Amino acid sequence: MTEQVVDIPVKQPSKSWTQQVVSSLLKRTSAKIGLAWIGLLVLIATFSPFLASSHPLYMLVDGQASSPLLQHMAPLDWIWLSGFFITLVISALSLVAWKKILLWLASIAVVSFIAYSTVSPPLLVVYEHYREMETAGKVEKVIRAPIPYSAKDYLRDFADTGIESPLSAQNRTHLMGTDENGADVASRMIHASRIALGIGFIATGIALVIGTIIGGLMGYFSGIVDIIGMRLVEIFEAIPTLFLLLSFVAFFGRSIYMMMVIIGITAWSGYARYVRAEFLKLRQQDFVQAAVASGLPLRSILFRHMLPNGLAPLLVATSFGVASAILAEATLSFLGLGLVDDPSWGQLLNQAVQSSTFNWWLAVFPGGAIFMTVFAYNLLGESLRDAVDPHTSRGMQS
Amino acid sequence: MKLLEVEHLITELGEGENWLRAVNDISLTVETGQTYCLVGESGSGKSVTALSIMGLLPHGHYRHPAGQIRLSDPQGKSAEVEMLHADEETLRSVRGSRIAMIFQEPMTSLNPVQTIGEQLDEVLQIHRPQLDEQARKQRILAVLEEVRIPEPESRIREFPHRLSGGQRQRVMIAMALICEPALLIADEPTTALDVTVQAEILKLMRELQTKYGMGMLFITHDFGVVAQIADVVGVMRKGVIVESGSTADVLRNPQHEYTQSLIAALPERLPRPERPAKTDKVLLEVKDVSVYFPVRRGLMRRVVDHFHAVDKVSLQVNAGEVVALVGESGCGKTTLGRALLKLQEVTSGSIFLEGQDITQLSAKAMRPLRRRMQVVFQDPGSSLNPRLPIHTTLIEPMRVHGIGNSDAERTQIAARFLDRVEMPTDSLWRYPHEFSGGQRQRLAIARALVLEPRFILCDEITSALDVSVQAGILRLLRQLVDEEGIGMLFITHNMGVVDYLADRMVVMHKAQLVESGNTQQIMKSPQNEHTRNLLNAVPRLDDKYLASAI
Repeated sequence: MTEQVVDIPVKQPSKSWTQQVVSSLLKRTSAKIGLAWIGLLVLIATFSPFLASSHPLYMLVDGQASSPLLQHMAPLDWIWLSGFFITLVISALSLVAWKKILLWLASIAVVSFIAYSTVSPPLLVVYEHYREMETAGKVEKVIRAPIPYSAKDYLRDFADTGIESPLSAQNRTHLMGTDENGADVASRMIHASRIALGIGFIATGIALVIGTIIGGLMGYFSGIVDIIGMRLVEIFEAIPTLFLLLSFVAFFGRSIYMMMVIIGITAWSGYARYVRAEFLKLRQQDFVQAAVASGLPLRSILFRHMLPNGLAPLLVATSFGVASAILAEATLSFLGLGLVDDPSWGQLLNQAVQSSTFNWWLAVFPGGAIFMTVFAYNLLGESLRDAVDPHTSRGMQS
Repeated sequence: MKLLEVEHLITELGEGENWLRAVNDISLTVETGQTYCLVGESGSGKSVTALSIMGLLPHGHYRHPAGQIRLSDPQGKSAEVEMLHADEETLRSVRGSRIAMIFQEPMTSLNPVQTIGEQLDEVLQIHRPQLDEQARKQRILAVLEEVRIPEPESRIREFPHRLSGGQRQRVMIAMALICEPALLIADEPTTALDVTVQAEILKLMRELQTKYGMGMLFITHDFGVVAQIADVVGVMRKGVIVESGSTADVLRNPQHEYTQSLIAALPERLPRPERPAKTDKVLLEVKDVSVYFPVRRGLMRRVVDHFHAVDKVSLQVNAGEVVALVGESGCGKTTLGRALLKLQEVTSGSIFLEGQDITQLSAKAMRPLRRRMQVVFQDPGSSLNPRLPIHTTLIEPMRVHGIGNSDAERTQIAARFLDRVEMPTDSLWRYPHEFSGGQRQRLAIARALVLEPRFILCDEITSALDVSVQAGILRLLRQLVDEEGIGMLFITHNMGVVDYLADRMVVMHKAQLVESGNTQQIMKSPQNEHTRNLLNAVPRLDDKYLASAI
């Protein structure tokens, strides 16, 4: 069989489709702006305890060094931090895409388990404690976060705080003012970026998984599966997400995870439609027929030959989906049905109109953040659409 | 009388700093009542020339560093127009009334949301504003009558999707002729049509041209069409007219080596190699196979009727033999091919592969047998998975069927087959978009070959390719069949290809098999009327034809 030895030149594989799309995406200014903003948000969300916290990073009291900040880090903080570095490490590995995703999910699960079982920050937090110690002169040396106020530090030690405009308070610097409870707005905004990112990714992730599976089945098998699937899609499309969220909040109380799940299980129908249409088209393509004729198993035909070719419109829809999930959470918080104590951009916006005076800093900063984030995802979606579309003139140039 | 003069035309396409010279210094003259045929392979710049004349190139993405295009009026009624420097207003009045154009794709060149009548009426409203509604209607009916649309009275109220491809092209011709233009530019008007329809359309265009005394600039890639319609022919390559002259001279006695090579690459003129002795081992046998598609109506999707795609067809393919399956589009030949490979459920009849009945096998039981029968499809654009390098495309089926013990060994086998289809072995690491159409078809053949099949189905695999590329692929197929003893069913509508490649041929018409037998015999004396029609529709430029016809 191998008497004829052929030398195969060892050559780097030429650019794959993914690489082409990424490189042509990165050539677009709008994509760069969008990615830069999202990247900044990710950094802020990951390192938010180090950016804004009332707990000093390092403190020397009576000759005893300690780091109250690390002691008070919640399990979720640890998960975010380690998740960030796990993502960096895994993206540097050379593995097949689906293996990377599996590895990532597995590591996050392990880290979450460890974090929740080992880390237990003190339940009672008295933020005033540090400031009191400082004024009493007990502290010999202290290093604080750039914004030395936690999101839930309502400054009870400064008697009658409340809504204060930026930089108006004496002895304290609040770059973006304070909210009605006296908490620092900049700090609340930094901590709220997690909710914005988390709800966007998790809700869209749930929708994406459900939509791809149902849409793929509808597209590949067509016939009766397709008819039933489409009816299901129509039923879910008829559900008004916002009102469903409102009634769930009314019945079961406020939970960010419940919001994510509800947004996820009502938003999948759009993705299912996209995947179905792509699969119906791809099923007739010659290379899929050739794969069937080569006797390849169904698994390979669906996941290796069809799914990667049908992903393009899905990617675009995803980035718009993230934007609308963020908006849904902001809307809910704005209506006063969001989280109670936890910071959220929509909730800050709500406060802007609650009091008798119009407090511009409570409208401009969180409003700007919501606008920029939704805008960034839309920019990214638009550029992705151009990058994956072979018909746009600059689509595939690389 | 000179109608259109193109002098030293240069067209460059692109934007910013990147300009590509698509047409490089060409000159041509079209006279009244004459057909000038621009012939060339894809990418030679023939369509760009036509669009330059019409001024229809995409705005801001083209420039003409040099050249002149003069359109004169033989009757002297209107002034001479210099098309390249005319303003948009002048161009608009010239287009449609003095120059008309017909495009290649009849499916997309009519507006799907307007009726035929409305679309024809609009042209008249703009270019003949003096006519009232009644006169316009008369003119529309007359012109539809002229292009032989049956029952024009009722047809003008119909939408384009109700017409067949040939009829749509007739409507396009009617639209072009309605203002009696002096010059008609036709850009591959018959390429998307069946050969028999093509013959009718060409005949119609010829007649109308004589009647109106129009000049015609006809663009095609097909020398058969050239022989039928052209008075003067210009052969284009890479933006340059390499040879021009009267059709008879150029076809009989080509001077430029490119023209010579193009004509030599026509399948009917390819040299026939010696053939090895044939075996009579039956490889694939099809007995009375029918494929019906249910027609469903109404709320409950009741089956009201069956569409007969393939109706009781029997044929057999021996080892080491090429059988050509010939027929017009829609006759069911592709459906039959898919049914043979079990990509399509068979309604009745049976299929035997090497004596084994595979008709009722389940998809699972069929899977190990699949390596014995392989397929190559028509469209080189979609025949390979664009997201996978060639390596994966070739290795995966081998792995599934247990050919080779390790991926390294399979890579060696793949490399050997790439060599066999005359592709460089480093193609393994490339992606499909880096290859041309002909190369992709070679890779698709390699994918079929790696499984060492006994039977290969080729579904129009050369019809999207240029003649010179087609010639290479045909030679390769012939070699494979002769050396490996593979049985091949070759679906095509090109009689030249049948003549070159096939030992036997079967002719299908409206889902039924109408004639089968030895290729040479059928070519010489077709028994069935449909076979005769097919054979007559396109002249094959063999020596006999060149000596007599033109």
